[in-house]
Amino acid sequence: MAEILRIQHLSKTFGTNQVLKDIDFQVNTGDVTSIIGASGSGKSTLLRCINLLEDPTSGQILFHGQNILDGGTEETAYRAKVGMVFQSFNLFSNHTVLGNCMLGQIKVLGKSKEEARSDALFYLDKVGMATYINAKPHQLSGGQKQRVAIARALSMQPEILLFDEPTSALDPELVGEVLDVMKALAKENMTMLVVTHEMSFARDISSHVVYMLDGKIEEEGESQQIFENPRSPHTKDFLSRFTGK
Amino acid sequence: MSISEMSFFQRMVYIVQEYSGSLLKGAATTMVIALVCTALGCVIGFAVGIVQTLEPSKKDGLLRRSVLRIVKLILTSYVEVFRGTPMMLQAAFIYYGASQLFDINLGMWQAAVLIVSINTGAYMAETVRGGILSVDIGQTEGAKAVGMNHFQTMMNVILPQALRNIMPQIGNNLIINIKDTCVLSIIGTVELFFTFKSISGALYTYFEAATVILIIYFILTFACSRILRYLENRMDGPANFDLATTDTLAFTSGMNSYNPRKARKN
Repeated sequence: MAEILRIQHLSKTFGTNQVLKDIDFQVNTGDVTSIIGASGSGKSTLLRCINLLEDPTSGQILFHGQNILDGGTEETAYRAKVGMVFQSFNLFSNHTVLGNCMLGQIKVLGKSKEEARSDALFYLDKVGMATYINAKPHQLSGGQKQRVAIARALSMQPEILLFDEPTSALDPELVGEVLDVMKALAKENMTMLVVTHEMSFARDISSHVVYMLDGKIEEEGESQQIFENPRSPHTKDFLSRFTGK
Repeated sequence: MSISEMSFFQRMVYIVQEYSGSLLKGAATTMVIALVCTALGCVIGFAVGIVQTLEPSKKDGLLRRSVLRIVKLILTSYVEVFRGTPMMLQAAFIYYGASQLFDINLGMWQAAVLIVSINTGAYMAETVRGGILSVDIGQTEGAKAVGMNHFQTMMNVILPQALRNIMPQIGNNLIINIKDTCVLSIIGTVELFFTFKSISGALYTYFEAATVILIIYFILTFACSRILRYLENRMDGPANFDLATTDTLAFTSGMNSYNPRKARKN
């Protein structure tokens, strides 16, 4: 599989606090990679650095082999190709469900209204929200909001989709509907990078798992290997709470 | 019956009958100045407020950063000076200063609009800045994540929400402007307060004239506050939404009709 994203020696410092320490890993087209680890281990910061919502302190992010941190790459054009789904949804409160999915297509991709509308409807249908196109975000439940947020990201037809703890702000009974959408995307070979606390998703759905500890990658590999045969005692210890081993 | 023989109410009726033309003209002038200047003040306020909330990005060169810093400094001084001095003196300063220093004779309308607009703009700048800061940072991140640039994010996501949040404050400014145009009488603008001075000066009926004009001011401000409240509700959009479905057997409205803002009012 072709390499889409490669992170090299990535570090991020907030003041004197080094949150990411020399991170290296890569994502190939079609990979579903779960980033797991305790709270505060730098998972979300890593994801936010990849989407340039945080400026990495040092290191390289190669997108199709091209370093996007060298100043030559247009930030907005890169972001349009790298979708992001947030823990707190971040749907535009002043737009309807349909508007949320059309805005980026019209403004960033320069599509016509009709084209944007039909594409938005296609993806809203995919996440089961097509009947809610006239609703405003505040009229929806958490699970519905997150499904719209996924549709909004998909409407941009990104090459890779980043998920930052997409189910952590949801009531337990709403987690399932969002995970189902993500599972369906994984089946369609969407390239996904998912920060998650849902261990069943990491084990059953994702192809790769990255375990982070104190700002470093402690262990990474195919999900089956990580869950069944972790090399690091820390990984083993972290997963034991889930697997019961 | 001469005016000295009349009762309080008869005098008020007399004032309204005799001076209806001046009163209407005064009220109209006041309203036009207040509405135009509030609108212009909003434009100034949005422009200044947007610049004040700009953050230089890391990529910007030294030149761009310094220019931005200087512009911000100028705008901050503008806000502080015009917020921090009485509008009545600003009116005198600008009106007489223009004629004495630059030999420009501002007309009544030009002077009024200029002074009240830049004054309102100074207040609105801070209001807009507050409105922009009140919009959750997640909205900006959501817009960035789909690839929108700063300008697109502002125009399509942040400012519409900021505008909604500061509507009560814009209403406040309009009402303040309706009342505060009275200080323009110092430069001879024939507005409602000027009318009061003319009537009371001609008839020596200060109490009655004051009562009549007080009532007119209140009608103007109260009407404006009601209209603005109506506009706010319009901006919030309908509390219900229709489900988009082709199945006529499925119910088509009001999956979620609870709007806390509307419910509290009832």
